[in-house]
Amino acid sequence: MAAPVANGRITAPTIDAVARCTEFAAAQAQDAGFSLARVHEVELVVEEVVANICRYSYGDGLGSVELCCRRLDGPKLVLEFIDYGQPFDMFTLPAPDLSVDLDRRDVGGVGVPMLRALVDQASYRREDARNILCVIVHAAPKLAGDPSST
Amino acid sequence: MECKIQNLANVVLIEVEGRIDHGTAPAFGSALLPHVEGCTDENKKLLLDFGKVTYMSSAGLRVLMIAAKGCRKQGGKMVLAALQPTIQEIFKIGRFDMVLETFSTVRDALAAISPAAAALYGDR
Repeated sequence: MAAPVANGRITAPTIDAVARCTEFAAAQAQDAGFSLARVHEVELVVEEVVANICRYSYGDGLGSVELCCRRLDGPKLVLEFIDYGQPFDMFTLPAPDLSVDLDRRDVGGVGVPMLRALVDQASYRREDARNILCVIVHAAPKLAGDPSST
Repeated sequence: MECKIQNLANVVLIEVEGRIDHGTAPAFGSALLPHVEGCTDENKKLLLDFGKVTYMSSAGLRVLMIAAKGCRKQGGKMVLAALQPTIQEIFKIGRFDMVLETFSTVRDALAAISPAAAALYGDR
């Protein structure tokens, strides 16, 4: 069944929220005229955010994730992620030590550093028992992608 | 995501193609697992050809880290080749370039880790 989409908004259950929100945001970025390279970066941003919400905000429980998307001049996109889980600001997650050798490296923990590198602005607030994470992504790619993919 | 496997002398060459994301990372891990388990001493090498990987999130990086640690723990070695520019940058953000050996091409990787495998790879 197709995810409910209206006025730049999608609501998806946590069980498949990552795939649905990523697909939705990619379509929004394409519609806004973002390059293929930047569309992939927006997909990365959404995947990292939603995966973290499912993992930390809801823990082992089920819930839902709302993603609201607004287009601004530039062009740029405002992506607002809303969930009803426990208070959770992913930007306060402890940073892994990335300077250690392979044997001592954690296997995870790079999602938030990746997120920081790919967004232009980010803010978190807790409001009416909801976590609201707002990120703004501009059209210019952050990573040095293949020019042929732009 | 697809993985094509070739055995070249003491090297298992895995050509990875497509997206490695939250949805496909478990299948990627399952595809790597038997080859990681077989990477048991310093003569056994695992080479991942990433030339056709178009997208990779932290879920894919996690799989790579687990695989590399598994090989190392058993005395084997895993290296990567032909990373796309955006994947290279993702590696730098996660400092994966500091803990995983990468090469510009499959040929360069084979020449460095196994001359016998490089000879079998030929002029491709």
